Amino acid sequence: MSVAQWRVARVTPLGEFAQPARITGTAVRLAAQVFLVVCLWRSLYSQVETSAGLVRDQAVTYAVLAVLALQIRGLDRSASRDTMLQHIQEGTVLYWFVRPIPPRRYYLVRAVGDQLYGFAWVLVGYTICLTAGAVEPPASGSAAAAFAVSALLAQVIMYQLLLAVDLLCFWTLQNNAALTILRFLQNLLSGVIAPLWFFPDWFLTISSVLPFRYTLDVPLSLYIGRSPLSDTPRLLAIQLLWCVLLAGLTRLMWRKAAGVVTVQGG
Amino acid sequence: MDAIIARDLTKTFHTIARRPGFVGGLKSLVAPARIAKTAVDGVSFSVREGELLALLGPNGAGKSTTIKMLTGILVPTSGEVRVAGLEPHRDRERNARTIGAVFGQRTQLWWDLPARDSLAILRDIFDVEAEEYRRRLAEFDDLLGLSEFWDSRIRHLSLGQRVRCDLAAALIHDPKIVFLDEPTIGMDVVVKEQVREFLRHQVEQRGRTVVLTTHDMTEVNRLAERIVLINHGRLFFDGSLTELRRQFGATWQVHVTLADAPADVAVPGLRVLRRDGPRVAFGPGDGATSTHEALRLIIERYAITDLAIEENDLEDVMREAYLHREQMTA
Amino acid sequence: MGLVWRITRLNFRAVLEYRAEFMLKVAVGAAWQISVVVFATVLLTRFPGMGGWATSDVLLLASMRLLSHGLYVLLLGRVTWTHIVVQLGQIDAFMLRPMPVYRQVQLAFFNVNAVGDLLVAASLFVGAVLVVDVDWTPARIAYLVVALVGGVLAEGAIGTALGSAALHAPATAYWSMWLDELMTAFGNYPLHILPGLVRDAFTFVLPLAFVAYLPAAVLTGHLETLAVPGWLAVASPLIGLLAYLASRLLWKRSLRAYKGYGGT
Ligand SMILES: Nc1ncnc2c1ncn2[C@@H]1O[C@H](COP(=O)(O)OP(=O)(O)OP(=O)(O)O)[C@@H](O)[C@H]1O
Ligand SMILES: [Mg+2]
Repeated sequence: MSVAQWRVARVTPLGEFAQPARITGTAVRLAAQVFLVVCLWRSLYSQVETSAGLVRDQAVTYAVLAVLALQIRGLDRSASRDTMLQHIQEGTVLYWFVRPIPPRRYYLVRAVGDQLYGFAWVLVGYTICLTAGAVEPPASGSAAAAFAVSALLAQVIMYQLLLAVDLLCFWTLQNNAALTILRFLQNLLSGVIAPLWFFPDWFLTISSVLPFRYTLDVPLSLYIGRSPLSDTPRLLAIQLLWCVLLAGLTRLMWRKAAGVVTVQGG
Repeated sequence: MDAIIARDLTKTFHTIARRPGFVGGLKSLVAPARIAKTAVDGVSFSVREGELLALLGPNGAGKSTTIKMLTGILVPTSGEVRVAGLEPHRDRERNARTIGAVFGQRTQLWWDLPARDSLAILRDIFDVEAEEYRRRLAEFDDLLGLSEFWDSRIRHLSLGQRVRCDLAAALIHDPKIVFLDEPTIGMDVVVKEQVREFLRHQVEQRGRTVVLTTHDMTEVNRLAERIVLINHGRLFFDGSLTELRRQFGATWQVHVTLADAPADVAVPGLRVLRRDGPRVAFGPGDGATSTHEALRLIIERYAITDLAIEENDLEDVMREAYLHREQMTA
Repeated sequence: MGLVWRITRLNFRAVLEYRAEFMLKVAVGAAWQISVVVFATVLLTRFPGMGGWATSDVLLLASMRLLSHGLYVLLLGRVTWTHIVVQLGQIDAFMLRPMPVYRQVQLAFFNVNAVGDLLVAASLFVGAVLVVDVDWTPARIAYLVVALVGGVLAEGAIGTALGSAALHAPATAYWSMWLDELMTAFGNYPLHILPGLVRDAFTFVLPLAFVAYLPAAVLTGHLETLAVPGWLAVASPLIGLLAYLASRLLWKRSLRAYKGYGGT
């Protein structure tokens, strides 16, 4: 990573550090969210032993990790007037095209920086939750390894999905709706709202052919040992496939998006 | 040596027309109607190295569109552009290193970071050496007084402060060619003067080529060696300020008070613009007459008790020029 | 009132301008509600007898909450966008017009999401009212209607209070979004499944319990499972109204102290 890229990657975290209130905010919010999720799932399990093949601690671990994972998804940059939508609406996206770094790379480097920052949060949160007993350690050593690989791929898929929606802004000047839909689909189909295992079979089938499940549910299921280890190669292969497919799509979209600016004048 | 060459530059936008009314809105949902709009139409000009060119024209003339094509943001529909020998939209990244740009009130700085951090990021993006960066920053600070506020976050800066930072940001990599689309919009007189000084310094001391659009005629008066006028996307004047005045500014008024008041006042070659009893205002007639000549003609014919000559300032010249163009197209 | 209607119509026409966006927004509203419904069904089927309530009782609670939320979004929801209005500097413009700023914020645009929201919520609501084991006497029906209005007002109170904060610091949007998520996540279940502390926080700090949980308990005869006295549960709609009035006072005071949004 060159110095320039390092500088660019730091932009959002630096902005966060400049406003300690935001950091405290994130901490409070995260703590409260984890606490509530633990409460909810523990009380739901007070009547039953196992449900959908998950015992209580598995379900709680899954749900807590899902809450933490949302942190890496990317920070909300709208307060910094730094979302793609805002740049396009305000016309400041023009400057991306008069710099010697391609817009695509600039976007990527910013996203990597944001996600690394989020990852720091996750690590801290995870350590605290583990010590406090809110989450269990991985089901086994190999489950941990499978989880690590899968989580990385999941993050790549997540990035591509967010990018695709951001790029949509070049065509629909207000993509709030598209973003909300993506967030909603992501929440529903990836297991943020509830572990996917609780859903009916047809729902699992649908989510298996869509990319969202592979951004969260797959690594988490490997972590808690709900997906058998023997299934790992298949799951990782599908994740890899999605990475490639989406990378192709976003590449194409970038090219078209640049066309929108350079031909239609944004 | 020409820093910028534009030949037959044309840009046509295609937009979707919305139909008026509720039903129309629904109809547009189903079958949108496309319309073409030519914003820049066959514009040719060139800019020498180290020259400051003012690109002028009324609102919607096509100035910003032209600048966007020169900076490589927009691809021309047809025609040719060369900026420092490069084709901007083909060679965008290389071009980016040789140009700097400020687009009016739009800032390229990061909203939540102190101005100085933003400049440091740009330094790295443009690979500016540390020593050089420090020197340049000091120079900019000297001319623009940046250090007063460069540790504040951009969101807390006033408009004028922010645009000054943006100017510094656009020049941090020492570009040979600078494009400024209404850089002084919304600034107070003092800051405006500061920015003009800064630009003059950049042109005269640093030898930069500057293309500037503005609606501020004082600025044009102080800065521009050369002026290109466009309207409705067409170029209709390219020359110096003096030439512009000669071509469109030959409008003056001679106000006289006549000693006796004849019923009919007429001077061959002059036009009577207003008459109010003994007070008469003359303007040039069909031939281009100088004020000097006009005075001679008037005094030959009438006895006068009072006299005032009023020559138009640049703003009137410009109005005349825009209107003149309007009539030509009509 | 005529003016309000005219502006709303113009706003509605404006959203039609962006066609893809319009469809998407309706879908968003519907999808959002459906996700809540899905989650509720999943929980109800996997963990029956939640907090000692029959499944259909929880369904009534959830559908009341969804319907009042949909109505809230339609009628008062724009107040949660205050931070954007502030950031765009529109508040300053609103102050110059002879109409209350609060009303102008409400009229700033038409929220298309509400259409989808309401569609889903209304169908679920009808279903729930039909299956739930409640004898729908005129008195109960009247209470149900009043409770829905109270729910709209209670949520309006939360939104208005957050909007008041956003007048000073648009960054509070971050918090309001989170609260919105919290209310979506926990508003649809008998709150006593949560630990006492959390339940009380959702009752007395964030008046979420008054939106649907307490009135639903009254209608389905589950007063004994509540931690609050029965009369308080019955008085939920009134509390919603009071909370809303209080929040409007807060808004008024915040607006007087409005200092503008720096930097532009
Ligand atoms: N992306 C676009 N799509 C369609 N039409 C456009 C687009 N951009 C500019 N135009 C049209 O092209 C014409 C020229 O616009 P341009 O922005 O270049 O004007 P300008 O000379 O910079 O005016 P001003 O002084 O107001 O800044 C205008 O009529 C404008 O409506
Ligand atoms: Mg312009």
